[in-house]
Amino acid sequence: MSAREHALKYWYPVAMVNELASGQTRETVLLETPLQLEATADGNLNASAHKQSLSVQNAFDHWWVTLSDNPYPLFKVPEAAETDRRFVPCGVVRVLCSPLRAVENFLDIAHFPFVHTDVLGAEPHTEVYKYDVKIDDTHDEVIASNIRFYQPQAAKSAEGGIETQYIYRVPAPMVAVLYKTCPQREDAMDVIALFVQPVDEETCDVWPWMALYDDTSSMADLIQFQQFIFLQDRTILENQLPRKLPIDPGLEIPTRADLTSVSYRRWLKKRGAYYGALEGR
Amino acid sequence: MTSHPVGLSGNLAPRQVMRATINQFDIAVWRSESGIISAWDNRCPHRGMRLSHGFVRGESLACAYHGWHYNCEGFCHYIPAHPELTPPKTVRPVIYSVIERHGLIWINPTAEARAHELPDNLIPLRTLTFECDENTALHAMSSTAQHAGESFEPGDTLSESPRIITVNTPAIANGIIIAFHQCAPHNVIAHVLVQNTLSSAAQIDVSRWLESVRRHAEANVSEYL
Repeated sequence: MSAREHALKYWYPVAMVNELASGQTRETVLLETPLQLEATADGNLNASAHKQSLSVQNAFDHWWVTLSDNPYPLFKVPEAAETDRRFVPCGVVRVLCSPLRAVENFLDIAHFPFVHTDVLGAEPHTEVYKYDVKIDDTHDEVIASNIRFYQPQAAKSAEGGIETQYIYRVPAPMVAVLYKTCPQREDAMDVIALFVQPVDEETCDVWPWMALYDDTSSMADLIQFQQFIFLQDRTILENQLPRKLPIDPGLEIPTRADLTSVSYRRWLKKRGAYYGALEGR
Repeated sequence: MTSHPVGLSGNLAPRQVMRATINQFDIAVWRSESGIISAWDNRCPHRGMRLSHGFVRGESLACAYHGWHYNCEGFCHYIPAHPELTPPKTVRPVIYSVIERHGLIWINPTAEARAHELPDNLIPLRTLTFECDENTALHAMSSTAQHAGESFEPGDTLSESPRIITVNTPAIANGIIIAFHQCAPHNVIAHVLVQNTLSSAAQIDVSRWLESVRRHAEANVSEYL
C-alpha cells in the first residue's frame, strides 16, 4: 500500500461547522485531491471530489471528511460531551511543512522557553524531567504522561506562573490531543487538540480546537491566545529541513526529552503511516 | 567549487547571524562576541531547524527551536532540556570553510575557502541585492549610464567565477570593483568596493548610481530573461 493509500483511510477536518452559512460553498484540497464543499439548508455539509459524493461527519465543531469507502472510525474525545466546557474552534492556519511535523511539534515541550518565551516557558526553567510514553493497546494510541513543566502563562485564564501537568494522546497520525492543568479548576484538565488537514506531503492546514473551563475570557481572547501561540510555532515549522518528517533514525539526533517524538515516529512506521514522512537517512 | 563572496564583513557584527546560499548549499554564518566567524550547514542536527534563525550568546550559537548551544568549532556543549548532560561529540552541524579578506566574507562549501586577490587600496562600500541574473545587472550598468547621459566604461574582468569586475563612471568614480554572488537563478547580490581615497560625497554618488542601476535591471527583467 502506498503512503497516500494508507492516509486515505482516515477522517480529516475541512471546515468549522459554524463558519459556513446555508448555501455557502468552498473549495479546499485534501491529500492532493480538490474538494468542493457546500453547506446545505438543513445544516449539513455536502462534500465531493471529482463529482463523487464523500462521507461527512460533524465532530468537535468541525466537519470531517474521508476519501475512503471503508475508513477507520473517527477517534474519540470523551470531554467533548462535557457540556460545561467552553468549546473553541480556533480557525485554520496554513503551514508549509509536512502534516506530521506539525503534529510532532505540538508534542514537544522542550521548545517552550525558546519559541513561546515568557508564555509557555521561560529560562532558566528549561529542564525536561523524566516522563512516560506508552502505546495504548486498546485504542492503539501514543500516550505520553507525567509531564510537568514550569509555565509563566499556561493559559489565557492563568494568573502568574504555575507548574503545568501535561498528558498527550496521538489517536491518529495527523491528530494530537493535549490534556493540561486547568488554571481555574483543580479537579479537571483543559483539552487542546490539533487537527491537521494534509493538503499534500509538504503542506497542511492546521485546525486547533479547545475544550476549556474558563468562565471569564471572551471567545475572541481565547482564540487570539491560541493563534498567537501557533503562529510562533509556524516560524519553526516552515524552517525545518527537510520539510518531510524523517521517520528513520540517523538524520536527526533525539534526546530523552524527545521520547514522545521518538515513539510517535516508531508508531507511524509500524502502521505504515508514511504520508509526509521521509524514509532512510 | 570556487569560494564565493557572500557578504560584507562590516554587515555581520559580533553576535549577529545571517543566512547565505551557494547553489544548493543553505548556510548559517555567524560571528561570536569576540569576533570569530563561522559558516555551517543551516540545519540543527537535533530537529533540522535552520540555524540562521538562532541567537548568539558569547562564543556560542544557540538554535532558535530548543536552544541547543554550539561553540565556534561547531560542537554542541549545552542542551537546555538536560542541563547536566555532556552532549556527545557527534552533535555537530557540517562545518564549511570561511575566511575574510578585502572586507568580504568568502565561503567554500566543498574545499578550503580562498579570497580572490584584489588591490589593497579598496574599502567595502555596500551590498545590493538584484532580483535578476548577473547578465541583466551588467547590461543595466551601461544602459543606466546612457539613460542619464553619463559615460560608462566597463573595465577589467578580474574573475569569471565568481564574477568580479572593475567599472569606471568618470563623472563619479573610477576603479569601482563589483563582486557578484549569484544566490539563485534570479537573485544576485553585488558587493561594491571603492578606492580608499574616494570622498564621502562620491561614495554616496556611487551608491545612488547603483540603486539606479538596480531599478533599471529589475524593470528590464522580462526583456532579458
